[in-house]
Amino acid sequence: MNMNVPHLHLLLNHIPTIGGAAALVLLIIAFVRKSDDLKRIALEATYVVALFTFPAYLSGVGAQQSLLEMPDISQLFVDAHWTAALWTFVLMQLAGALSWLALWKWRRIGSWPTTMVAFVFVFSALSFATAARTASLGGEIRHPEIIVNAQPPAETAVTEAAPEGAAPSATEAPPETEIGWMTGRGLGKAYMDRNWMWPASEAIHFIGLWLILGVILLVNMRLLGFMRSAPYSAFHRLLPWAALGLAINVVTGMMFVTGTPEQYGANISFLWKIIFLMVAGLNLLYITVFEGPWHHAQAGEDPPIRVKIAGATAIVSWLLVMYFGRMLPFLGNAF
Amino acid sequence: MDPFLESLQQSAIARFVGESGSLLGYPTILFLHTLGLGTVAGVNAAVALRVLGFGRNVPIEPLDRLFPIMWIGFIASAISGLALLVTDPVTRLHQTVFYVKLIFVALAVVNMQMMRTRIFRSPAVSDGVLPSNARTLAMASLFLWIGATTAGRLIAYI
Repeated sequence: MNMNVPHLHLLLNHIPTIGGAAALVLLIIAFVRKSDDLKRIALEATYVVALFTFPAYLSGVGAQQSLLEMPDISQLFVDAHWTAALWTFVLMQLAGALSWLALWKWRRIGSWPTTMVAFVFVFSALSFATAARTASLGGEIRHPEIIVNAQPPAETAVTEAAPEGAAPSATEAPPETEIGWMTGRGLGKAYMDRNWMWPASEAIHFIGLWLILGVILLVNMRLLGFMRSAPYSAFHRLLPWAALGLAINVVTGMMFVTGTPEQYGANISFLWKIIFLMVAGLNLLYITVFEGPWHHAQAGEDPPIRVKIAGATAIVSWLLVMYFGRMLPFLGNAF
Repeated sequence: MDPFLESLQQSAIARFVGESGSLLGYPTILFLHTLGLGTVAGVNAAVALRVLGFGRNVPIEPLDRLFPIMWIGFIASAISGLALLVTDPVTRLHQTVFYVKLIFVALAVVNMQMMRTRIFRSPAVSDGVLPSNARTLAMASLFLWIGATTAGRLIAYI
């Protein structure tokens, strides 16, 4: 591959910032014009941006590994950027998850759940603010010319500057007291310090796994033409349970990554897992709101081929997410 | 060491799965175990959610055809589980949590078959009528699979 992980990060990190802003502007215009069509587009855009925030955030975790090996990179700047990025990620996922739920409800009842859409706006606006800060802190890692006040970022400030040419190495974290709990590295450390948390998350992650797989299998078998006596709309009702499984696994999965970023940053199996997660995520949007499945799988109806392809894509992409997740220690370097 | 367990651990299958280092050995068997678990527990859970009242317009009767899929998942998990067991029988058979898992799995499978006969194959199913214990069976299936998954995952850590 001609592109390395830091390069990929520099490309992808524009999606949450610029894409998130575009989705937010669309939503504001939709409110002003009272346009249901624009509202749908804005919520779909928010969902897609949230989806692409995964590779943007995770490639940053990967870039961090190679960056910290360079002599003139300060871990303080990297950590400040990481913390801001984590906040952006969380807020963006909340906006994306609520967008999905609002779209799912709209598909069923034909009108917008107003409070939910209002919360999408709130989370999108907050994540836009944190994304701007993340971008600014990220720029400071490698672009000293943009730093007006050449101090390390406030929340990780140290009392004593490191001697010149002796930047902290990747393995040498600042003393424990200086890492706040609400920072990327601090959260990861707090997580790893509690021995029961990793096994507990593993157990929950596997429960989430079968919840997603079971519901996705059942719902998409209808799109493949099985159980035709009922319309797809009946099966569509079960989709939030797959979404719940996904939410559980995003939380537990991100804790694994935050606790041990070195296991995932350059892990080829993880890269494939995230690629198929993107495919599965886009597919989920399609089978949730698009017209094809909703209108062409009525009671007794065998869906057209494009809808069957969507159903097959759902099953195959989730199986591949599972496969590459299980292969993390074998194709890659996770334990 | 028990000579029987030792011979198991020295068997060709155990050595291939445990020591060959091939991607088709341990990693693939482990994936099949996860895939089997995901299928049997996941599809059982999805059906249980329908019995609990989610997706009310999904008819009960055709869901009977999902039970063979659950059984295939269970058999795949059982066979791959045996292959994983023979790579390290001494450790596993001395772990309490391993037996806890087996009990959860056994109860979950019995419960699964009870769901099939009492709910999906009851004469009243074509009228969409659920028996009075349907909700209990459905809740039990969710609980038992959560227990089996948790105990199973903890085998690697306790």
